Amino acid sequence: MPKAVKRFIGLLGLLTIVSMVTFGAMNFLGDPLFNILGPVAADVDNPESLAAIEEAKAQYHLDKSLPERWARWAWDFIRGDFGVQFSSSGQPPVSDLIKERLPRTLELMAVAQLIAVSLAIPWSVLAASRANRRTDKISTITAFAFVSIPSFAMAVILFYFFSVQLDFLPDTYTANDPFWGFSHDHRLIQLILPGFTLGLGSAAAYQRLLRTDMITTLQQDFILMAKSKGVSKRRVLYSHALRPSLFSLITLLAINIGFMIGGSLVVEQFFRIPGIGSAVVEATLREDFPVVLAVVMIVSAGFMVFNYLADYLYTLVDPRVRHEDSSKPRKITSMGM
Amino acid sequence: MNDEQATDMDNINTIDSETAEVQEETNDSNPLEVSEFADKKTLGFGFWLAAFWLVLISFLAVFSPMLPFKDSEKNYIAFEQKENPITGKMQERPIQPPYAPSSEHWLGTDQDARDILSRSIEGARISLAVGALTALFGMVVGGTLGMIAGYFKGVLDKVVGAIFLVVLSFPGLILAILIVALLDRSLLTISVTLGILGVAPIGRLARAQTLSFSEREFVMAAETLGSKKSRILIKELLPNVLIPMSTLAMLVIAVAIVGEGTLAFLGLSVQGSATWGKLILTGSGLNTLESSPWVAFVPMGFLFLTVASFNYLSDRIRDYFDVRDIFVTRD
Repeated sequence: MPKAVKRFIGLLGLLTIVSMVTFGAMNFLGDPLFNILGPVAADVDNPESLAAIEEAKAQYHLDKSLPERWARWAWDFIRGDFGVQFSSSGQPPVSDLIKERLPRTLELMAVAQLIAVSLAIPWSVLAASRANRRTDKISTITAFAFVSIPSFAMAVILFYFFSVQLDFLPDTYTANDPFWGFSHDHRLIQLILPGFTLGLGSAAAYQRLLRTDMITTLQQDFILMAKSKGVSKRRVLYSHALRPSLFSLITLLAINIGFMIGGSLVVEQFFRIPGIGSAVVEATLREDFPVVLAVVMIVSAGFMVFNYLADYLYTLVDPRVRHEDSSKPRKITSMGM
Repeated sequence: MNDEQATDMDNINTIDSETAEVQEETNDSNPLEVSEFADKKTLGFGFWLAAFWLVLISFLAVFSPMLPFKDSEKNYIAFEQKENPITGKMQERPIQPPYAPSSEHWLGTDQDARDILSRSIEGARISLAVGALTALFGMVVGGTLGMIAGYFKGVLDKVVGAIFLVVLSFPGLILAILIVALLDRSLLTISVTLGILGVAPIGRLARAQTLSFSEREFVMAAETLGSKKSRILIKELLPNVLIPMSTLAMLVIAVAIVGEGTLAFLGLSVQGSATWGKLILTGSGLNTLESSPWVAFVPMGFLFLTVASFNYLSDRIRDYFDVRDIFVTRD
């Protein structure tokens, strides 16, 4: 598969450039020494603090040139060592921090994605089967409204109704609680509110796409065939029409993961979930560059890989597009960050 | 377009997906008018509603200092006659804010007894300014780069395409907080930062449009007549690129307003001024939500109506001018 290899190399090249830009920008714009040493870093006249500065520079390799530091970082990064935090202790190492926090973000996104897909599929089937009737029109307006509610607003709305008013969903997240279980002391339940916050907007975006695709599928001959054979309406919708309509949704699912990462920053901040989203926010405010760099790399890589997988899956599920250009334009259903 | 073959099967309406959105608006019209293109040119009631809201909120934002609104920074403490528990005399005592919506404060006040309506309109000034500046930056930079890439093709196209690809591979919000945290939190920095995120989508659209139009007869005619390249770009191509670009720019404004709010929730928004994001944030604490939900929900309503209007307008105009295939995906 020379085409796949070519794309993979392009992906690696892109990641290299992303890391270089981030690395360069952070070093040009910020002052890493200050974050390690505090006010001492500015006190260059005092020989004692000068010694401390020299020592810290040597310890964090800040005395080397920028390209050399980048090369050093890249070599460590490939081997899975993300460096030390730019703080006075440098503990825990960035790799450990990521290892601790990434699973929480992944859990949140999995719950959100699950909620979004399981809402979007019946919703779009219902809308498509009643295309242009009242149910469909109302659902189109609802979907449009949901797409226009930003995740921070959704967080406040859901928090207000389900936590403050009705008081039946937990709003606190405890990282040490077990995941699987159905009481307030299980993270699965604690993640419902954050999951809906992230998932509702996505569900609406999916619905807008899947509804259109379903309507297209429903006018094809094989549906007419199935109908005339007397297959029940429900079966036609869910087993005949749904599968061939799912192709573009798969692509959107992957693209949306990128948007969800943006949303999860806010959701993690709002619901106090210590995932990589809140890690990168804290680290940016502290100018803790290795942490930011690691998160940027993981998120960009994840984003690219998912896009790549989506295109691959797309050809796998729908063999018709195998020989076509898979980079054909797609309809926008939402745009976010 | 197999409308003729359409069979009404179990209430499944058979319409072509491309015309689905359009027919939705017009399927009540006279069935004798079969031409879908004749029906297509209506913007619909919703369009004018959205446009009205945007005009209204922009008007209020621009002219609010001249309009008789309450001072957005002033604390309107109310007093009541109450018996002093020690002396037993009737006394003027301040009432603890926040105050619920009343004839005095139409949409209530916050914890510091500041008028929410005035504050929301004050927030509109900043939020809309951020949106407009962002879109302007995205259109000027992205449009220029995209049109140059689309017209001159070759190496230039490759280079610009690579730049767009790199910008698109960054997680947008992380890039934004990085720049804002490292620089400062002025209105301009935040707008330009969000504008950078808009450059690549707008640029890609401009490139695609320029590419398709540069093959057309009127451009070839201008070339044969010996027009300068800059003239062709500005006089011949720009008008054709501008409409699709502006529909995308509206989306960018919506995204910028949301982006500003997101930055506010992360503690990184415009310093010193009330924005919608900041107003919602101040009202979103547990205690405030319990005692006075309007503090968060009023600015949220303003934000939602504005974002939804921009989204809807962009959608409708895209249909109206038949702009299809907008390349915004990040692949």
